Amino acid sequence: MELIIIFISAAVVNNFVLAYFLGICPFIGVSNKITSAVSMGMATTFVMTITAIVSWLLFNLVLVPYDLGFLQIPSFILVIASLVQFVEMVIKKVSQSLYRALGIFLPLITTNCAILGLALFASMRSYTFPESVVFGVGAGAGFTLALTIMAGIREELELAEVPEAFKGAPITLIIAGILALAFMGFAGMI
Amino acid sequence: MKKNVTLSKEFLKGLWDINPVFRQALGLCPLLAVTVSAINGIAMGLASTFVLVSASLLISSIRKLIPPQVRIASFIVIIATFVTIVDLVMKAKFPDLSKELGPFIPLIVANCVILGRQEAFSSKNSPGRAVLDAFGIGFGFLIALFVLGSIREILGSRTILGFTVLPDSFEPWIVMILPAGAFLTLGILMGIANAYNIRKERIAKQTLMEKFKMAVAGRNVNQPEAK
Amino acid sequence: MKVYKIITTLSVIGLMSGGILSQLSNWASPLIEANRKAETERAIFLVQPGGKSYEMINVPGVELFKVFDENIASIGYAMVYNGNGYGGNIRIMAGISDDLKEVRAIEVLELAETPGLGTKITEEPFTTQFKGLTAYPSIELIKGAPPLKPNEVQSITGATISAKAVVDIINNGLRIVRNSVSEGSQ
Repeated sequence: MELIIIFISAAVVNNFVLAYFLGICPFIGVSNKITSAVSMGMATTFVMTITAIVSWLLFNLVLVPYDLGFLQIPSFILVIASLVQFVEMVIKKVSQSLYRALGIFLPLITTNCAILGLALFASMRSYTFPESVVFGVGAGAGFTLALTIMAGIREELELAEVPEAFKGAPITLIIAGILALAFMGFAGMI
Repeated sequence: MKKNVTLSKEFLKGLWDINPVFRQALGLCPLLAVTVSAINGIAMGLASTFVLVSASLLISSIRKLIPPQVRIASFIVIIATFVTIVDLVMKAKFPDLSKELGPFIPLIVANCVILGRQEAFSSKNSPGRAVLDAFGIGFGFLIALFVLGSIREILGSRTILGFTVLPDSFEPWIVMILPAGAFLTLGILMGIANAYNIRKERIAKQTLMEKFKMAVAGRNVNQPEAK
Repeated sequence: MKVYKIITTLSVIGLMSGGILSQLSNWASPLIEANRKAETERAIFLVQPGGKSYEMINVPGVELFKVFDENIASIGYAMVYNGNGYGGNIRIMAGISDDLKEVRAIEVLELAETPGLGTKITEEPFTTQFKGLTAYPSIELIKGAPPLKPNEVQSITGATISAKAVVDIINNGLRIVRNSVSEGSQ
């Protein structure tokens, strides 16, 4: 039950993008097309899940026992950076087209605050191991959801007449605001 | 890198021309998250500026010693170290502020503005220029944080920096202090910034065209006389 | 040769970073600890206005403090317990009388409720209702009409879930405290 609450909370109620503002850069950059949004979401979810596992092990088996809490930020970000490199290599091997679609945003997952935020939140709330993993998957699912909805709206938006000055980031932010209002409706779920 | 850029220009460009928020849409996560009030915006801006300036100074000083293959990793560790310093000092000396800004101080590490400046500027320029550039970008970021924070605080809680500025008869717009308000306000602000720039460019283009036309016309008038 | 240089650079940067941070953390951690203590203390004396000193009592599941006045006589407890509200976790400290039957005051320590609606649980008139509220057998939340019985609290329009969460948190926390305190005295 506790695990379900954590999942729903991370995925929709406290959606990383729309409630915590984490991962805005890829949210604005890669939300032009549904296909690339879904791939980006899946890559991020994958990295998030592994990050949740690795950072939990690192925090609870190394940093806490040896009283090295102050090294939390540098060690987390290094773990994330190496994980992203790894995912990049795998995707490059597996699918060239996917690799081209995700373009420069794959290395940018490193500076995607959503991933670091996930690791920090999980350790701050002293989640147990299964809770951490569920939190990682949930946050990834929420990120993918927000990104895909946004991409769907933006595909339609190409047919609309947006004022010149509001094209690109501004209109995306305004839509995100409306989406954030809509997502508030999920709040009663937990 | 162009070496003929004047030092003051190196600083000033960050305030508007390449303002990280309004012109590059970078560093939006901390910007949106902490700007519930103007004071939070200022605190976040100062913390980010400190990290950016310190990291730029250090990285530009040792830029020739870092092997290019591990460039990014080294930058990240250096930035993370400075962020931890800020985080510890804030927790120790300003507990209230640190509680308000919560996990967003550690997340300065993942602010693309800071890593981006190291990669694009500090790793290629002298420490003096790098520090000026960092101050410029940092203040540009601070201005954006302050503007957004002020608007949201005035409309959302009728106050600015804790002082009540709007009468009781004004019903606070709760949406402004909700996440949605952050997105909407920033979207509108960026749209206005874009509109201003588009106008400026059009005027610049027009004056250029007029000058060109005048020059052409002038030559046409002059030529027969020269014959 | 190149690999050698890469490893040296990274280790030097890593060691420097670790060294600086460990020094700084030696300086900062006692201060951070003191801040945390001061904050708990402030909340305890807020919910138990006559309190001058306190000691922690070991009860599994809740944070419980016994509070004393200037004559070192016990005036009651301060209890910290949490639960889910509308937007996430709510953490509340409640001042409770010695017989665990009356709530003296409450202080919300943490919340993630909707600003302007759910956050009303931290404001008057909602909080005032908990001053001298009968909490035995349990606190009841009522809607619409003003409270008549001494154990009733009026809900907040538009934020029923948040208000209910506060009442539930105090009731649940008190139940745990009652069980363990009565076990301890037997």
